[in-house]
Amino acid sequence: MTETSPKNLRGPGPLKPFIDAAAPEGFTPVELFDPFEAFVGPFFERIEEDGTRVAAFRIDERHVREDGTVHEGMMLTFADAFLGGAAWRAKGDRPCVTLSLQASVLADAKLGDVVTCRAKADHQTRAIVFVSASFWVGDDKVMTATSLFKVLGER
Amino acid sequence: MSDVPPGFAPVQTKGFGGFTGPVLRGHDARGEVFIFDIAAQHLNGGDRLHGGMMMTLASVVLGEAAKSAAEKGEAGADARVLSLNCDFVSAGERGERVEGRATITRATRSVFFMACELRVGSRILMSATGVYAIKRAEA
Repeated sequence: MTETSPKNLRGPGPLKPFIDAAAPEGFTPVELFDPFEAFVGPFFERIEEDGTRVAAFRIDERHVREDGTVHEGMMLTFADAFLGGAAWRAKGDRPCVTLSLQASVLADAKLGDVVTCRAKADHQTRAIVFVSASFWVGDDKVMTATSLFKVLGER
Repeated sequence: MSDVPPGFAPVQTKGFGGFTGPVLRGHDARGEVFIFDIAAQHLNGGDRLHGGMMMTLASVVLGEAAKSAAEKGEAGADARVLSLNCDFVSAGERGERVEGRATITRATRSVFFMACELRVGSRILMSATGVYAIKRAEA
């Protein structure tokens, strides 16, 4: 696959999100370095007492399909951003690119819902990080995802 | 989008599809095709097509093809995604035109098994498969 030079992968950022949206209670905005994430963002994050990192976004008019349920493309973008974050952290902030992502859609999230993501690195080799995540609206699980990330420059 | 081929029309013009698109649907010599031009807002920090946008494009191509197949089977029927698997085969660059083509691998009474490829010219960007539930029209 075509790889980008690691030093350039993060761009100049942070970038300003397309809209100003209030953070859900307990969350703070995430710095965004990818133009597409700024375009669909903002995204938020909080760290729980046990160290678990939880990401979030609020579904607005940009994110839905005609019936007011979230578009899977937005969910996959949120997934790519935060499963990728888990991969980068597992490798000490070394740049990683997505090789493959599988998502199962369990339930519909709707306009106005806050979607949260809990991602973890399940396993890693020198060049590959295996990540899984679950996505929630309140206590309802709405999507699961697993993905493979490639550490740039490793074989 | 500049340089729209004759007979092509946008799909999913509202909400997320409209906001991130346009994606146009039409026909060429090889059959039905969806086209999308990579612009500045679609990129990642490395100046390549963002993975989220690439998966969005795959989901639009697969979803529209599944919806059409459902409607062909029964007026008013729809299709909803159950599972998507996206493989990132190569990167997309700003200014490139991506072509997406979908096929139905198998249709059962309740689901479609779908596959799609996203390409720029002969270079493949993504291969994706999806499972879609067929939603019958409500009586």
